[in-house]
Formats: sequence, C-alpha cells, structure tokens
Amino acid sequence: MEYKKTIGIEVHVELKTKEKLFSPSINSYGSLANTNCNIIDLGYPGVLPTLNQEAIDLAIRACSVLNCKIRKKMHFDRKNYFYPDNPKNFQITQERTPIGYDGYVEIDDDGVKKKIEILEMHIEEDTCKSIHSKERTLLDFNRAGVPLVEIVTKPCIKTSKEATLYLEKLRELLLYAGVSDCKIEEGSMRCDANISISNTDSLGVKIEVKNIGSITNVGLAIDYEGIRQEKLLQEGKTLKEETRRYDAKLGKTILMRVKETGNDYRYFPEPDIPYLILTDEKIKEVEGNIPTSSSIRREKYLKAGISLVNVEKLIANKDLSDYLEEFTNINLKTASNLLLGDIQAYLNKTNKTIKDTNLTKEKMLQIVEKLDTNVISNKNFKDIIEDVMETDKSVSDILELKGIKNVVDNEMVLDIINKVIKEQEKVVKDYLDGNDRSLKFLMGQVMKESKGSVNPKLANDLLIETLNSKK
Amino acid sequence: MNNYLDLSVVEIHDLLLQGKIKPIDLVEESFKRLNDNELNAFITIDYEGARKKALELEDMEVPKDNILFGIPIAIKDNIMVSNLKCTCASHILENFISIYDASVITLIKNVNMIIIGKTNMDEFAMGSTSETSYFKTPINPWNKNKVPGGSSGGSAVAVAAGITPFSLGSDTGGSIRQPASFNGIVGMKPTYGRVSRFGLVAFASSLDQIGPMTRNVYENALLLNAICKKDTKDLTSFETNEDFTKLIGKDVKNMKIAVPNYFVSEVVEKEVLDVFNNVLNKLREKGLTIDYVDVNHIDKAPILYQIIAMGEASSNLARFDGIRYGLKEEANTLEDLYKKTRSEGFGVEVKRRIMVGSYILSGENAKIYYNKALQIRDDLKKSFENIYKEYDLILAPTSSRPAYDVGLHKDNPLRSFMDDILVMHANMGGFPSMSLPMGKISGLPIGMQIMGNMLDEAKIYQLGSFIEKELNLNLKVGE
Repeated sequence: MEYKKTIGIEVHVELKTKEKLFSPSINSYGSLANTNCNIIDLGYPGVLPTLNQEAIDLAIRACSVLNCKIRKKMHFDRKNYFYPDNPKNFQITQERTPIGYDGYVEIDDDGVKKKIEILEMHIEEDTCKSIHSKERTLLDFNRAGVPLVEIVTKPCIKTSKEATLYLEKLRELLLYAGVSDCKIEEGSMRCDANISISNTDSLGVKIEVKNIGSITNVGLAIDYEGIRQEKLLQEGKTLKEETRRYDAKLGKTILMRVKETGNDYRYFPEPDIPYLILTDEKIKEVEGNIPTSSSIRREKYLKAGISLVNVEKLIANKDLSDYLEEFTNINLKTASNLLLGDIQAYLNKTNKTIKDTNLTKEKMLQIVEKLDTNVISNKNFKDIIEDVMETDKSVSDILELKGIKNVVDNEMVLDIINKVIKEQEKVVKDYLDGNDRSLKFLMGQVMKESKGSVNPKLANDLLIETLNSKK
Repeated sequence: MNNYLDLSVVEIHDLLLQGKIKPIDLVEESFKRLNDNELNAFITIDYEGARKKALELEDMEVPKDNILFGIPIAIKDNIMVSNLKCTCASHILENFISIYDASVITLIKNVNMIIIGKTNMDEFAMGSTSETSYFKTPINPWNKNKVPGGSSGGSAVAVAAGITPFSLGSDTGGSIRQPASFNGIVGMKPTYGRVSRFGLVAFASSLDQIGPMTRNVYENALLLNAICKKDTKDLTSFETNEDFTKLIGKDVKNMKIAVPNYFVSEVVEKEVLDVFNNVLNKLREKGLTIDYVDVNHIDKAPILYQIIAMGEASSNLARFDGIRYGLKEEANTLEDLYKKTRSEGFGVEVKRRIMVGSYILSGENAKIYYNKALQIRDDLKKSFENIYKEYDLILAPTSSRPAYDVGLHKDNPLRSFMDDILVMHANMGGFPSMSLPMGKISGLPIGMQIMGNMLDEAKIYQLGSFIEKELNLNLKVGE
C-alpha cells in the first residue's frame, strides 16, 4: 500500500470586535505598542474579566456560516501554563464546552464537492505579542485579550489542495460574515496543520506545523511534510510527535520542539465567569444580522457579465467588493475593470486602502460614465488617477486642468487620420500589404498629431475603417 | 484626648452634625490609638491621605442621611486602594503600590469614610491565625500571647482595639468570622456576589467575599448598606438595593431555628458548647423554636475546601511571576526567574497550597478531585437549602475554641484547618453568615454564627441584634 496523508487543520481567527474579550480595552491592530491595554489585560492583582457580548455574537455568526451546532449552555475554562506572553499565566478558553461543534465547510475540488468536517470551534483570548531580539524579549500587550475563535477540523483532509481550498473557503466565509479581517500577514488568521502519513489503515504519527504564513504555504508545507515523512519511514526510521514551523525561504519545515508526553494544562472551569445561556431567540437575532454572503455577490457579478477571473478577484478582495456594494446603479463590468486594474495598482503602489483615497461615490460614477460613453479613455484615466485619488477636485475640473479634452467629433478625428495617411504613404502601403505592426505606428502618429486629445478607441476604429476602405 | 471613637457611630454622627467635632479629630484619635498599642494590626498607615481627606471633608456640609460620613475605616491589605501599597502580607508584593481602587473602595470613598490604612493578615489570606503574614504577626488585644485569628486578623484587631469603628475583611473559608469570634466583634460574610470582588486579590474566586467587621450588629448592617452595589466589573455580582437594618428591632419569637447536630458535636470544645447552649436556652425562653437537625455532607466541608480553594489558588497566584510587577529576582533564564522569584516571594504556607492545588488539578486528578468536589459542593448546598425550606436561620458556634497561643499550630496546617470546620459551609454554598460575640471563656471572647439562606442578610441582622441585646455583653478590651 502506498503512503497516504491525513491532515487536520487548526485555524485561529481574531474576532473583529471593538473591544477585547474580557476587558473594555480597544481591539486594534497596528497601534503604538502597549497603548491599548489596561490592568485587566496586564493581569494585575485583583482584576476580574467581563464578557464582551459582541465577541459572543461574532462567534455565533461564525458557527452559523460554518454550519456548526451551537452549544446553548457553555462556560469558560482556565488553561494554566507559565509564559511571559500569558499575563495571568492562565489563558481563558473553552475546553469542555466549545461554542460550536459538528460543522462543515463545503469545498469544490475541480468540480468534486467535499465537506470538510469541523470538529469544534471555541472562543479564547489571545496572548500578547513577544518581540525577541538577541538580548531581550519585548512584550506588546495590545494583543493580550483580543478575542479569538479556534476552528479545528477533523482529520479528514487528504491532500494539500483540499487543505488550501478549505482555508480559502473558510477565510471567505468568515470575511463576508464580518467575523474577522482574516489577514494572515497581520496575524488575524493563523493556520496550523497536523500532518501524518500511513500506508496502513491506522493513522501515522502526527506532526504539527505551526503558524504558517500564507494559505499557499500551508499547501507547500503539507507537501513537504509528506515527502519528508515518507523518506524517513522508508529509511526505517520512526517518527516522533513534534512541532515544526515552515520556512518559506528554504521551502522546508524546521523542528521547533518534540512533544513531551501529556502537556498538563490543569484545566478547570473559570470561576469568575458564570455559565452563559444562549437562547434560540438570541441565536436567531444574531443570525439575522449576518451580512450578505459571498455567494450572493458572486452570482450578481456573473450576471453583470464580469469575467469569471475577475469575479474571483473581486470576491477575494473584500474591500473592493464592499466598495462596489455601495453603488446601486453602476456599470459593474466597467467599474470592476477599473477597480481591479488601475485602481488596485494605485492602491498597491501607495499602500493604501480604497477608503484612504478621495475616490468618492460621485467621482467613481462620473468616471465609469465617461468611460462608457468614450468621453475619456483608459489612458486618460491613468493620467489623472493620482489627482482623482488624492484631491477633492471633480473629475471634470481635473480633466480641464490637465488639458485632457477627448475629441469625440468623428469629422475632426477623420481629418487627423487622413492627414497622417497622406504623410505616411509608405507605412500605409506596408499595412495594406499585410504588415499589422504598421497599424500601431500609424495610430501613434494619430495620437501625436492630436496631442493625445482624441479617444484612442474611437481613433483606432476609424483608422482601421479608413485604411480598409483603401484596400 | 477625647474618646469619641468609643461612641456609637450614630452619636459620632450627631457630634459631627452639630459641629462639635470634625473628621480630623476622629482621624487623629485613630492614629493615636494605633500608635499607643503595638498590635501590628496595620501594614500600611496612610497618615497623609487620611488627614488630607479629613480636612477636605471640613469644606462639606455633613449630610444628615449619611451616618458614615467622616468615620475612619481600616481596609484589609488584599483590597486595592489606589496609591497605597497592597502587599497581601507577602514579600512578593511588599513594594507593590496599587494604581486603582477596588469597587468597594470606590463605594467607601463615595460615602466619604476615611481610610486610615491597610491591615495585616495571613499571606494572601491563607491561614487562620495571621501568623503566615510576611510582616510581624498581629496581636490579640485581649491577650497578647494569643493569636488574633485570621486571615482578616488585622482588621479584627483594629476594631476590637478601638482604632477604627469599621474595617473590611475578606472571607474565603471563615476569614472574617473566625477572627471576629477571637476578638469579640461582629463580622459578616455576605451572600456570594453581594459585594463586588473587583479589586480584591483573588485567593479562591468561587469562595471569596468581602464583608464588614464592626463593634456591633447595627453598625455592621450600616456598612454593608454602603458596600453593596451591582458591579459591571464583576460578573458574579448581582443587583442589590436593600436596607439591611430594616428588620432590626422586629419581633423574632416566631423564628424557627435549626442547629445542625454536627455543629454541636465533639468537634467543638465543651466550654464553647456551654456558652452556646446558654444562648439557645435564652432564645427558647423568648419563644423561638430551636430544632436539632442532620445535614447531608456537612462533615465534608473541610475536604471540599482544601480541594476547591487550593485548586483555584494555584491558578490565581500564577500571575505573580516577576515579569510585570512585584518582586523580581535576578536570573539568567526565564525558568530561573520564575523559580527564584516565586521561591523567595511566597511564604511556606502559600507555597504549600500552590503545590497541593497544582497537584489537585493535574491530569486525571482534576476529575478525581476537583470535579468530584464541585459535585459534592452542589449537594452540600442543596442540603442546606432544604434546611432553609423549613427554618429561618441556622445557629452554630463560630469557632471550636477561643483564641489559642501564638505559635501553637504554626507547623500544623491541618489543625488550623480544623478550626474553620464550622465556617466553611457558608462559603461552599455562597450563603451569608455572621459571627457575633456570645460570651467569654477565661477572659477571651468567643463568637457564634448565624447562617442564612441566600440574600437573607437582613434576617440575620434581625436575630443578631436581638441576641446582642439579650446577652448585653458589651465586650470591651481592658474592661
């Protein structure tokens, strides 16, 4: 029998709440170190936890979109272990009564649908962030107490492809339900993979690869582990349970620690937080507030004639998709081309989000309309994008200031074309002889002659028409 | 100097209202009494803060309806008062200065009581004699060779010695009531959740409760009035808005009283039982019904206490690691830092309880011990609730004997536990229970406790006040 992989995935997702899980400190990313923490987050003597209802609501949402059953009566537990990033030296989590259980995420593996089963989902607090340097370790308590849900699959994943499809789908579901930002690079989504291989019916030795930096790397880490473990087994070596990390630069997993037998966390029920009862009404109310799912948007985009590739790009870029949702009456196809093309390039270049720019709804509508009616060209937009994004000026003002006047008058364009054809007799002949590259040159001359003021698409069409009439 | 602090707080309040005395007079008298007796009742004395507050109050009109205005109070040193040290009588927090007020302290400050200082106690409230304090052991003002009880020993001594009419203690397994008994004062452990625990350094979270310690029953109810308020910072606190003095003076002769047989069995010394039976006889004479009853699981309280309190304590005290605050020992590695700081910082009894607690929660033990203990605790609670279906209140001695010699049980922690054999039940069930003096044995005061059903503090005060009046003991140190 050949070796087969068995994979289980654990994902930590930070809940997008205003405040922390057990204290009123602000839950934010990227603030100055140790500015968003209070005595509760710091584990001061005498402090007690409160419970952030918004976190419970978001966890219910997560249960709902992941098809989990929801526990109606639950409590929290203390997980006791000493580490400097764990301010109380216990973490408040849910060991015995996870809020969600028995769920699934459906993936589509080249047309084959498969349910990836979710064993359980529990709520817990994040630790603080340790920044290690040679001589010392610095602690940033901004992250301490940020609400997390940990989502654990059953060991039912067979391939790296299934694993990455599951993670992409999971990310999309949670992102669109407003549960989390799911930004792996900022740590608001963290993936661990448990990989074992076996050539018998029983499971092999479980190797955990922790905190993998991207969904793609989860796939690579799984494949690497499969090969590494198989090689060791074929050499007659025995595997030990261990924790590894994936080094993306080396394309290898690296040993962190061998698992000691029976890690003793001395779990017991958190006495400072009473049992939490979730009524059916409460669950219904929360579920009623879940924002539009990605599948509804997907359908809408396809209907509007957006290409399949662009639909997926839009769904994957929720900021842009959300922006598009603000419009009720816009040409989705033109708008999505614009957003995924020049606008995204601009945002990437300037490291901004669309909300950071001055691209108001009105401006966006005007631009799309001008593009659709050939008043401006895509090239024109490239020329003015910085002004559109960075100033308060209207689109018309910007066009005027830049001296961009798109000539739409066919007669005027034809005059220019005819002038160019007359001047470039030799090139015209080349074109008529079948040299397509000559067209590009002629078009360049037209644009040069018009000082860029004609609509290139229109000019191109007219040029071809005129030339063809000479055939 | 006048002895204003020997007057009742109502009388003191009248003098303040009439302008005959000022809060500063009371504060100076407190400090004088504190310094005249070397009782080691305080760990921190806030001369500057108390005097400043007293002078500030001079600018205010004395409010007629606030009897507690300007009255000195002592606070157990495991309750946070901002800008004052909060040591928990431990080396590990010896120099820890609080940066916030416990919720009860906010309430104390709202009624303009004056905090004199922080009182001595067993280290992290672990002990029954206050001898586990890192600092000098507080002294029983009735007999300096005797222990003051614990863990709220300093708070009890402060009131018994007349330093302050009021103090706050905390009670996890009798820590308010037992020292109240040993010092001849009144101490109430309220219903769990009645007083916010926010700002009380946790020992055993599911058992801890802050309560008032006073010279008499009425004043105890007054202080409880001031410190009860639902607190959004403590999820176990509940809505509470009640005048606990409301039943004081009301007829008690129709009350039905239960006395559990176990509480009057051989676990209690004969002299104590004699004094207790004397009280029961007086109550019978006044027409109260008194029945002896059996209560399921009543003998299991000490073992449940050991498991639950130590399990929780081992987790609660994990935060003292030298990283963010408190004692920090020099070390080269992280493990060394933990080891050295905690070895140096904690005393023997605290370390013993952390070790036992960690063992109890380890691996399979959590199921064998901790979970099992929680089940029996539920059963115990139910058996008490069954008693309260038929009876108004339960009476028992508070301690099995009066205060004993200093050093007697320092090396025998189990014997100390057995002293608390009568008081742990209230913590296990979350019930309110109050100790009040019932007499003297060989010159030492001894207390009895009145236990009630959940939320029945007012009824406890009603009977307590009646007994106080009937016995008319007027215990006073030195008289």
